[in-house]
Amino acid sequence: MDNKSGQIDELISQASELRWKIGSDYHDKLTEGIYADAASITQRAEIRKDNSASYNFDRMLDKVLTSRTFGFPIMGLILSIILWLTIQGANYPSSMLDSLLLGTVYPFLKDLSSQLGIVWWIDGLLLDGIYMAVAWVIAVMLPPMAIFFPLFTLLEDFGYLPRVAFNLDGLFKKSGAHGKQALTMSMGWGCNAAGVVATRIIDSPRERLIAIITNNFSLCNGRWPTQILIATIFIGALVPAGWSGLVSTTAVIGIAFLGIFFTFFTSWFLSRTMLKGEVSTFTLELPPYRPPRFWKTIYTSLIDRTIIVLWRAIVFAAPAGAVIWLISNIDISGHSIAYYSINFLDEFGFLIGLNGVILLAYVVAIPANEIVIPTVLMLTVAHFGISNFGAGDGVMFDLDSETQTAEILQTGGWTLLTGINLMLFSLLHNPCSTTIFTIYKETKSWKWTSVATILPIIMGIVVCFLVAQLYRILM
Amino acid sequence: MIDNPYLLLGLFFGLVLLIFVGIKMKWSKIFVSPETRRKTAIEDILKQLYHVEYSGKTATLNAMAGALKLTHSKLVELIEEMSLLGLIRRSSDTIELSESGRDYALRIIRVHRLWEKYLSEKTGIHKSEWHGLAEKMEHNLSSKEADELYKSLGSPRFDPHGDPIPMSTGEIIESNEETLSHVKPDATVRITHIEDEPDAIYQQIIDQKLHMGQQLKITHSDDQFVKFLSEGEEYKLSTIVASNIGVKELNAEEISEAETIRLSSLGVGEKAKVIGISSECRGANRRRLLDFGFIKGTLIETEMEGPTKEPKAFKIRNTLIALRNDQADLILIEKTS
Amino acid sequence: MEEVNKGCEDCAFYNAAELKKLGISVENADYVIALAGNPNTGKSTVFNALTGLRQHTGNWAGKTVTRAEGGFKYNDKRYKLIDLPGTYSLLSTSEDEEVARNTILFGRPDVTVVVADASRLERNLNLVLQVLEITDKAVLCLNLMDEAKRHGIEIDDRTLAKDLGIPVVVTSARSNEGIPELIQTISQVASGEIVCKPHRIKSLPKKVEQAVQSLSKKINGLYPELPNTRWIAMRLLDGDQQILSAIKSGDFISSGNGQ
Repeated sequence: MDNKSGQIDELISQASELRWKIGSDYHDKLTEGIYADAASITQRAEIRKDNSASYNFDRMLDKVLTSRTFGFPIMGLILSIILWLTIQGANYPSSMLDSLLLGTVYPFLKDLSSQLGIVWWIDGLLLDGIYMAVAWVIAVMLPPMAIFFPLFTLLEDFGYLPRVAFNLDGLFKKSGAHGKQALTMSMGWGCNAAGVVATRIIDSPRERLIAIITNNFSLCNGRWPTQILIATIFIGALVPAGWSGLVSTTAVIGIAFLGIFFTFFTSWFLSRTMLKGEVSTFTLELPPYRPPRFWKTIYTSLIDRTIIVLWRAIVFAAPAGAVIWLISNIDISGHSIAYYSINFLDEFGFLIGLNGVILLAYVVAIPANEIVIPTVLMLTVAHFGISNFGAGDGVMFDLDSETQTAEILQTGGWTLLTGINLMLFSLLHNPCSTTIFTIYKETKSWKWTSVATILPIIMGIVVCFLVAQLYRILM
Repeated sequence: MIDNPYLLLGLFFGLVLLIFVGIKMKWSKIFVSPETRRKTAIEDILKQLYHVEYSGKTATLNAMAGALKLTHSKLVELIEEMSLLGLIRRSSDTIELSESGRDYALRIIRVHRLWEKYLSEKTGIHKSEWHGLAEKMEHNLSSKEADELYKSLGSPRFDPHGDPIPMSTGEIIESNEETLSHVKPDATVRITHIEDEPDAIYQQIIDQKLHMGQQLKITHSDDQFVKFLSEGEEYKLSTIVASNIGVKELNAEEISEAETIRLSSLGVGEKAKVIGISSECRGANRRRLLDFGFIKGTLIETEMEGPTKEPKAFKIRNTLIALRNDQADLILIEKTS
Repeated sequence: MEEVNKGCEDCAFYNAAELKKLGISVENADYVIALAGNPNTGKSTVFNALTGLRQHTGNWAGKTVTRAEGGFKYNDKRYKLIDLPGTYSLLSTSEDEEVARNTILFGRPDVTVVVADASRLERNLNLVLQVLEITDKAVLCLNLMDEAKRHGIEIDDRTLAKDLGIPVVVTSARSNEGIPELIQTISQVASGEIVCKPHRIKSLPKKVEQAVQSLSKKINGLYPELPNTRWIAMRLLDGDQQILSAIKSGDFISSGNGQ
């Protein structure tokens, strides 16, 4: 054995000596050698007709899709169509699911459990807590995702997305990021967890981390409904009825653009501070266009993205539903836990132009942004003892009428400031727990997971704080 | 209090200012113990002495104090301590390294150059910052850690500026290079070393995009300026800057006759042949470009430009690869018709 | 070497009834197959076609990062399939390449299938030639053949197979063309029915070639069982720390079959 280890040492020292004889360009030489072989083998085996019609078609398409005149307009158009289809198209199936899961199944289950004589707190925990939260998440989340992801995947399979990255790389480079982040960012408009997974296409470690950490600044579909509702109630109400639709839509788009601004700003900031030393490489291959296989794409994107993300959201939302029910129903000396928590958070809430109810809702709704509004409504009704709304303590609900919602919120002490800041806070707060978990799985680092979680909250608190103080000075 | 917005805003901006000032002042510096600061100063003196002796000069107290930005009295105090420790020998005005002082200095230089190598290969930190970071790290790494670093970097012999890295035994490769300021007109040379000190001159060299391994054809040289052609561009450097660039004169068969230009200057629709990747392009970036097939003799064509002019897409080995301008700057090509 | 490139749907060896896609249930596999290839060559499509799984595939580089596993059963033998991350090379040090490299080198799969894009043959061969330095038992799956034809490219697969010294199977995995032949070829290489004589890199500069040879001889003296001493020599010359420590500990020998 000693003999062998002696031989090994000799081998290693010989290797290091030879390395110096060959010189530092060994790696280049080796690659050149491999490619020389590859070229001669290829030459023998390949017959290539230059400039086939299909090749020229690809080039022509490229010239248009990346042109200075049409590149950006085409991109904007496609993105608007996708977002419009997603938001508009989801309304109908969403309300169907809503009436099915909450309007039909829920009463049926309630009836069943009372007939079976199930103890009130088991019934409450399971049906009012867990079932309601899960039903909410499914009703709000499933339809837009089932529309958004297949559309996106079709573009991906066709080969358009790398061209988008190509077009936008100049902009992203200025903030220290990678052009492919444009895609993970748009994917985030569907779902941040899916956006984080999609960062795998970025092969540079530094730019990938930037894309992961800033994905949360893309408003996900769990947050679009919140934005739309609050904008309609508080911003739309500022102007004559005829204008309110336009103004509130503009406000929501403004928030989405603010998100893009924060994405660039945070990318710029991170690439110059925390991520300065990370290795950065840029490569972007533009693959040939491929006609997507429509049904197969739809099928795999449903299975792969929609269902997986939905499943994870359900897994996280169920316990949240239980917690929401419990804090509203466990009484300590005459008041629920929610009551104490809201009072405790109220002062800090006031400081940043929000209130205790909103903060508590954001704490318990970490698992899914979808349940923030129903939780807020439920907590407000219970906390302020508003009668004739809702289905009891700890039971989340939504109202069909915006006027009624506005009434409840105003009774809860909401002002225009609360509305604006809720919209800002909905953009700038920690990612949902599904996304946090995904970030950990992708980065395998607690450090970066914590940064991605805490950074947006700090930004949200600072921004809301400043807006609140300015509002109070000016109004 | 929480309903007084003026007070709150005042407090907030006060806090922000405090944090900002804290970062500017570098909190860490305030908490360095006097012993550590002393050790750092002594090591800096040793290094400075080594460099002075290496360039064949003798060190004087005045010149040292200037170079190290120390007061004269502080320097004298440190020098006395060092001669007690046996690191240096003093005569009336000149200072000399002792054997053990020289060893010590080489150890520091070894860590410094290894760390620069590490930064260049394994991180994305810009080259203008390597020196400053290595200046800090050289005082912190033990010999054992330096040896581990040396191994993990694949036992390098030169740092990214072309300076030899001393062995752990204290051996160092002597280089026999000329400086660019001394080369006669009409000679063709290759850059083998770029001195990274002083900072201002190094920054000028970087700004000119001069890089290791670049081939220069000298057209003019006098007391004030050196002019040369390289990679399709004409350069003019002051002698002071040129004296910080080490070169090796090339003989006839080493000279690449090709009209070398950078890939970034290849217009859309133009074709070229790859000559190589500049040695400035290192680590993961270099290997990735090699994997894509950016190697000597490969045909390449600029296929299109993005709407913002950057990146550009190149057709290479029947694949479209997009590169940013700073990458395309490092790929050397020769135009073909 | 066996002639493997004729249409095989109806030939004696291939028996469709004997094929069973096992999805992810792959305990007690008889053979371990590694699937390597450049990004965006349809590697995941081939993987899905072989296992009946449905990993998402996109027109992008780098969709699959983690190692996916699946399996199929053919002629009473169970095959475990490992889908390696798509890489351009095995020489660099990125995480993906390390996973792919280590699986082939230390895991010693029974067959390594390299998926290549037929319309970018030259660039894909960069990886193929590296794989052939590491392992003797390999199959080249020349995929995206439909696309190559559309772009006016034809490939003489027999010449290619002869030059590379391994069987070449032409496929268009999106439409399942060539997959039966691929399965059959894999089984023949796994069972030893087809013996490969893989191409070894020839165009190295003299100085490098000599260094590789002298180191390779030494390594062979130390570990005569190793099939890839040349490649290990190449890695030593690049200062590869992982290979260096493997040489010290003799890790190449102890492990086998991708466990």
